[in-house]
Amino acid sequence: MGPAIILNDVSLRYENNIILEKVTATLGAGQCHVVMGPNGGGKTSLLRSILGLTSFKGDIQFQWQESKGKIGYVPQKATFEPSLPLTVLDFILLNQSRSPLFFNFNKKHKVKALQQLARVGMEDRALFRMGQLSGGEQQRVLFAQALLDDPDLLVLDEPTNGMDDQGVRYFESLIDELVKENKTIVIVHHDISAVRRLRATVHVVNGVLIESGAAEEVLKPSKIERLFNHYRHHSSQPKSEVA
Amino acid sequence: MDTLRFLANQAAEAGWLSESFSYAFMVNALVAALLVGPLLGGLGTLVIAKRLAFFSEAVGHAALTGIAIGVLLGEPPENPIIGLFCFCMIFALLLHFVRNRTAVPYDTLVGVFLAVALAGGAALLMYVARKINIHMLENVLFGSILTITDFDLLVLGLSCLLIIVGLMFTFNRILLASISPDIAKVRGYNTHFYDYLFVMMITLVTIAAVKIVGAVLVGALLLIPGATARLMTKNMGSFVLLSSLLATLSCIIGTLLPMELKWPIPSGASIILVAASFFLVATFTRIVGRK
Repeated sequence: MGPAIILNDVSLRYENNIILEKVTATLGAGQCHVVMGPNGGGKTSLLRSILGLTSFKGDIQFQWQESKGKIGYVPQKATFEPSLPLTVLDFILLNQSRSPLFFNFNKKHKVKALQQLARVGMEDRALFRMGQLSGGEQQRVLFAQALLDDPDLLVLDEPTNGMDDQGVRYFESLIDELVKENKTIVIVHHDISAVRRLRATVHVVNGVLIESGAAEEVLKPSKIERLFNHYRHHSSQPKSEVA
Repeated sequence: MDTLRFLANQAAEAGWLSESFSYAFMVNALVAALLVGPLLGGLGTLVIAKRLAFFSEAVGHAALTGIAIGVLLGEPPENPIIGLFCFCMIFALLLHFVRNRTAVPYDTLVGVFLAVALAGGAALLMYVARKINIHMLENVLFGSILTITDFDLLVLGLSCLLIIVGLMFTFNRILLASISPDIAKVRGYNTHFYDYLFVMMITLVTIAAVKIVGAVLVGALLLIPGATARLMTKNMGSFVLLSSLLATLSCIIGTLLPMELKWPIPSGASIILVAASFFLVATFTRIVGRK
């Protein structure tokens, strides 16, 4: 079972820019949560705060059901130099094992890495260089990497960016599978129709938390234009919601 | 070492090996080449992956200042190892420390540090010149593998052992921390620790290799075999192994060739020229192969 995540007055500034202001929310355990909002609204910053990758004011607590579990993460973008002979298999092995890539003769490691790649439909690209893959293919490999340790919490920052239809189908079926296993999943996503398919809890963020709730409720056509306005909603009393 | 030198001498007298091997310094030189070659080649792949070529070059140049400081503080001019070690380590760690706390682009910062170290070294050399024969510095600048002593080999061997053991446990994490620091952090790896550890490894191998390749050229031996192997390999494992092989071959051929052909060339220069010839062949082959 994945953890519940409790955000309490989370604020974040980069120099004089207010990125997040007093965001308070509870992301329920074992559910899929989608963070949406306009560009520059602080979605990625919220994810990075949850992961401890950036400093913030306020408090974020993880309520694990038993002992602290594992976390899988797919960043928004990773840059792989095309000339570096780092293959897809190398990249997975790098994340999976401590045995140095130049001295890893353990066949079990390779079999496990290939199985992970098969989950995202990338086993036939195992010997391609990471830098030669398209953006969508790289995202699929990054997703395979995030699934390596069978994580209880999965944090995904725009995971379907650049993915073709087949990739999106792989992704959505895997998310379905993981939700059934009671993993907690937090995804930053742009595509409203894809979010509706995920049947997730949606949190709309634009500096502050604008609205939280079930996708079919939050993403009503009548609300969408207001929620995704590009101007900042700065209120001194941020909205608090329990999901 | 005595046994090894005796065996080499016997083999040379029996005609199995070239006459050069009857000299003790030649055996020392080859042992040094076999120790430092694989290490420079292997570490070089990470230098390339982390884009630290300019940094490793700067550490090599800082060695000049370290040597000047060591001699000024009373160390023997032929082996001022404490001054060299302390200055290079402080230089590298300080550079990395400042890098993590400033928005100045890394290459600019390395350029500033390199200039300061060289200027400091040039200023100190004026004083050092009064104490020693300034031509001894040629050995430091361009390497003198034939003057390797048993003590040098001991320092080299220990440094190599330390770095190889360290690399066996940390190679994957150092690489991941450079390719995707965020993923590494989420996995619980202390990316700053791995960054500093790698900087220390580079500094240590640079110091250990100064006598062989020379301060000016040690950065090149970290870079060229890796750059060559990158053109010829398809995965990271073979990249590291081929880079190590090429660096070792460069060290051995670069040491033997001038000796056999009686060319008055510093060891550092000949080693780098051999490494560069591998690179040229690989580049040419790749260009031709594409047509």
